[in-house]
Amino acid sequence: MRQKNKNPKKRSTNVKAKQRASLSFRMNVLFFSIFILFSILILRLGYMQIVKGEDYVRTLEKTEEVTVNTSVPRGRIYDREGRVLVDNKPKNAITYTKLQTTTSDEMLKTAKKLATLIKMDTSKIALRDKQDFWIKLHKEEAYEKVSKQEQKAINKDEKLTGSQKQAKIDDLVRERITNAELKSFSKSDLQVLAIYSKMVAGYNLSPQIIKSDDVSDKEFAIVSEHLNELPNVNTATDWKRVKNSDLSILGSTTTPSEGIPKDKLEYYLARDYSRNDRVGKSYIEKEYEELLQGQKAVVKNETNGKGQVVETKTTFPGSPGKDLVLTVDSQLQEKLEKLVEEQLLSAKATGASSLLDRAFLVMMNPNTGEILSMVGKKIDTDENGKTEVNDYAIGTFTSAYEVGSVIKPATLLTGYALNAITPNTVLIDKPIKIAGTAPKSSIFNRSGAIPMNDLTALERSSNSYMFQVAMKIAGVTYVPNGGLRVTANDFTKIRNSYAQFGLGVDTGIDLPGEFDGFKGQETISGKLLDLVIGQYDTFTPLQLAQYVSTVANGGKRIQPHLAKEIREPSADGKNLGPIVEEFQPNVLNVIRNSPYEINHVKEGMHRVYFGSQGSAKSYFGDAKFDAAGKTGTAQVVYYGPKRAAYGTQTLSVTHIGFAPYNNPEIAYAVVVPWITTNESYTAINNIIARKAVETYFSLQKDHMQKQKQSTKEKITKPKNTESENE
Amino acid sequence: MNSKRNFSDRFDWTLAFILILFCIVSVMAISSAQMSGQYITNFVPKQLFWYFVGACIVAVMMYFDPDQYKKMAWYLYGAGILVLIVLMVAPGGVGQIAEPRNGAKSWFHLGFADIQPSEFMKTFYILALARTVSKHHDSHPLKTFKTDMILLGKIFLVLLVPLGLIMKQPDLGTSLVFLAITSAVIIVAGIPWKIILPVASIAAVVGGSLLWMAINMQDFLIHKLKFDPYQLARIYSWLDPYSYSSGDGYHLIASLNAIGSGEIFGKGFKHKEVYVPENHTDFIFSVIGEEFGFIGASVVICLFFFLIFHLTKLTLRMKDPFCTYVCAGIIAMITFHVFENIGMTTQVLPITGIPLPFISYGGSAMMGNALALGLVFSMKFHHRTYMFGNHDDDDDF
Repeated sequence: MRQKNKNPKKRSTNVKAKQRASLSFRMNVLFFSIFILFSILILRLGYMQIVKGEDYVRTLEKTEEVTVNTSVPRGRIYDREGRVLVDNKPKNAITYTKLQTTTSDEMLKTAKKLATLIKMDTSKIALRDKQDFWIKLHKEEAYEKVSKQEQKAINKDEKLTGSQKQAKIDDLVRERITNAELKSFSKSDLQVLAIYSKMVAGYNLSPQIIKSDDVSDKEFAIVSEHLNELPNVNTATDWKRVKNSDLSILGSTTTPSEGIPKDKLEYYLARDYSRNDRVGKSYIEKEYEELLQGQKAVVKNETNGKGQVVETKTTFPGSPGKDLVLTVDSQLQEKLEKLVEEQLLSAKATGASSLLDRAFLVMMNPNTGEILSMVGKKIDTDENGKTEVNDYAIGTFTSAYEVGSVIKPATLLTGYALNAITPNTVLIDKPIKIAGTAPKSSIFNRSGAIPMNDLTALERSSNSYMFQVAMKIAGVTYVPNGGLRVTANDFTKIRNSYAQFGLGVDTGIDLPGEFDGFKGQETISGKLLDLVIGQYDTFTPLQLAQYVSTVANGGKRIQPHLAKEIREPSADGKNLGPIVEEFQPNVLNVIRNSPYEINHVKEGMHRVYFGSQGSAKSYFGDAKFDAAGKTGTAQVVYYGPKRAAYGTQTLSVTHIGFAPYNNPEIAYAVVVPWITTNESYTAINNIIARKAVETYFSLQKDHMQKQKQSTKEKITKPKNTESENE
Repeated sequence: MNSKRNFSDRFDWTLAFILILFCIVSVMAISSAQMSGQYITNFVPKQLFWYFVGACIVAVMMYFDPDQYKKMAWYLYGAGILVLIVLMVAPGGVGQIAEPRNGAKSWFHLGFADIQPSEFMKTFYILALARTVSKHHDSHPLKTFKTDMILLGKIFLVLLVPLGLIMKQPDLGTSLVFLAITSAVIIVAGIPWKIILPVASIAAVVGGSLLWMAINMQDFLIHKLKFDPYQLARIYSWLDPYSYSSGDGYHLIASLNAIGSGEIFGKGFKHKEVYVPENHTDFIFSVIGEEFGFIGASVVICLFFFLIFHLTKLTLRMKDPFCTYVCAGIIAMITFHVFENIGMTTQVLPITGIPLPFISYGGSAMMGNALALGLVFSMKFHHRTYMFGNHDDDDDF
């Protein structure tokens, strides 16, 4: 800093002096830069500690809130009358909650203590767990199995990170552990291992169930007593899903060991599920997962200076899942299931029934869309070759069949809507002969010519009348033995009209996995005629039920649904909790026919049951109720589950209807595919329909009587029920 | 003739006093930090031991004068390089002498202590660099553009070997220290501004655009320029630790919370609340910031500034250019350590693992710094002042 340039004696002194001056300048530049850098630090500290200090203090006060996997019971499922279909059974459980800071040694220590108190099932320990445990117990021996050279080779591999290298060495060790070594575990070792492997498998801050099946009361009590010696161990209540009904549409849940389905992992994790949660896997349990799944507890973890959780405070205790009330009447369901099963088995007992294996019945309220009963039965052979009848209710909306003449009311309404015919149009029923195909005729009239109006056409189930309606829709004139110029557009027109009834489209039922049916790909003229008598496209039994409901309620296509109400969780599992939401009828669309046209068709369907020539007169003529319907028989080529029988000619029979005729309460559809391989069969479609309606009305009568009684009871003790609900 | 002055006059008491203050700060911070219980060792006596070792190193180094260091420079440099090479080829398996720690093979595990050779290499490098520059100026008294470029080339060659070896470990923090030292020496060495400024601007532009690309053009960096996504993650966890809150991000958030919540006056000695991992070594400043607040943290920064000021003053008094370059290198080394370390705990810079000199716990760092300050003590001790009538040009080489 002091400049000593007063006596410039030599030139070199001059140069040196210059250098010194330059050096001193540059040192000052350096020093100034350093000053700037240090000022930045001080300014930054000032900003953080003075300006933003309070924010940081507040951040610290907000200690981490964590959702923990407390086992809250899943919502129950009830039928419409409040009978429990799916329940939860509490069971004792011993849990372990791993913290971020828990080390494997601590876990092992706790496992050893716990092993003296409870007895574990050691038969299901995975090989990998055994290997890891062996390595943990015999560390030195284990790593001697991998020679120094091998370790060196692995460590040299620059592509691997430190932990990958360790994993690679561990893999080698695992490979080299002999069976004898694995068998060296003593019984008590295995007990410890069974507990330890469950502890390790858990997720941080999520209680992991160590034992929940068959925890004896004694074990539960002993562990509860010793909780203070067992860090992070707890005794809790776990829930087991219990089904009181084998109805397949109820669906199922995953078990905790299955956890969240892999394909939906992200979806559920984003919604605070943990990996070992039970979730609905199919049908009702899946569709209403969000409702049925309760909300988990939220806790606040207080950590000390070492980052260890010292205390957890519950900020939200968690709530059980909501209860779901279904529209299904389980009593009716049970009776109808029995009915269908009996009829199916009796038909199977007759000849030519080799392909018959299933029958369906759907009964719904045509005004609200509430499904009262959904029956599907399927004959299977079990492992021992014995036949058994299984529930196949899901088949009512996941499988489709050619439905035959039950489509004719829709064909007539389509004819009116497209101005092909008007009510009471008279056409002559006669065999239709088109070039290149076999003659097509009505079953009752194979060769003659019978003039008839649309009502009679329905009553007697005239194919010929429907063919002529189709030709009028297509705008083609029939020339015997000639061709018909039918276009793809004509198929579309008719299919669009059918879709108005729900045929060939989603019904909108509140269940996953609905199938729409197949649409024929060919558009030659003969197929158009097949289409209008239900022998071309396929439809599901549920689509038939929606279709007949649309006719019955005067033209509104209504969405069928199984959920009736959402309720707060019931306190005791018997009395329903308060209503959260009630599902309202949902009209999807209105068909393009006038009330007169619809009533006209309904009259025709009434004649099917009660008319002098009614095709179902022999089954319904003497009924004590007033109803209307339509039967169907479809000649189909078999493409069912039996591959060997592909291509066999067979008959499927169907039935749709509604009752009472005025102000319908129920609409129903029956489908019995592949009932016979020759022409002879018992029309169990009609028998099922008749008996189902009778069953419904007889149960209705019982209900009315019971309700009268219960209203009297309710008046006497209303306060009691209220307090129970709270 | 040096012997004519007594020891007391020649010893740098100010520097020693500053170091004693640092020792007090260090011991206080470490004793508070280790309450977190991340490690079971009591680091306070160990750190005091390292201070003692450092004092011994300084004492030994004061026996030699700058001329002797000038002669030793290349031997020390060579020895340092040799040790780095030995480290590179030493067995790095689990439990072996050179087992990588946190993914970097930078340490010898010697049982009684872990030694990080790059800490010593820094001082040896400064010596070699200063020797290179001073010798160049002696042989090229008349400076031209050509001689300046030759000098830059020489500096580059001296830098290349240790930098390469250390980047290979990999130790980004220490590599950057080498670059900082080099920059400072280049400035002091008298390379004209017309060379320095364009090079510095180019470096700034390249660095800036890489940073910009890390934020806006990740794919290009990873696929075309073959950057490791892990390197980009370092940038993201720096700029947005709350979105990348694992690893470095978590570390940074903890450190920010600790320092920020210290506010003006701090929470008081041993009253810290936030758990910051490694807070006795690289993150020791978070302890100071939290417990002693803005005032305490500023005092520590001022202490460092005072050290730098003192060193700068000494540098300007040095007559031997060799000594000037050595001092400039040491100043740059300490400054970079302080700025990077405090910067990373306060989100001014990305996290690179380098300790806070004299305060963070660590034997190697302490010995390395003692080596550097030993040189300073020695230069002051053997420095001849004007009161004996010597002229500026009367240098004896």
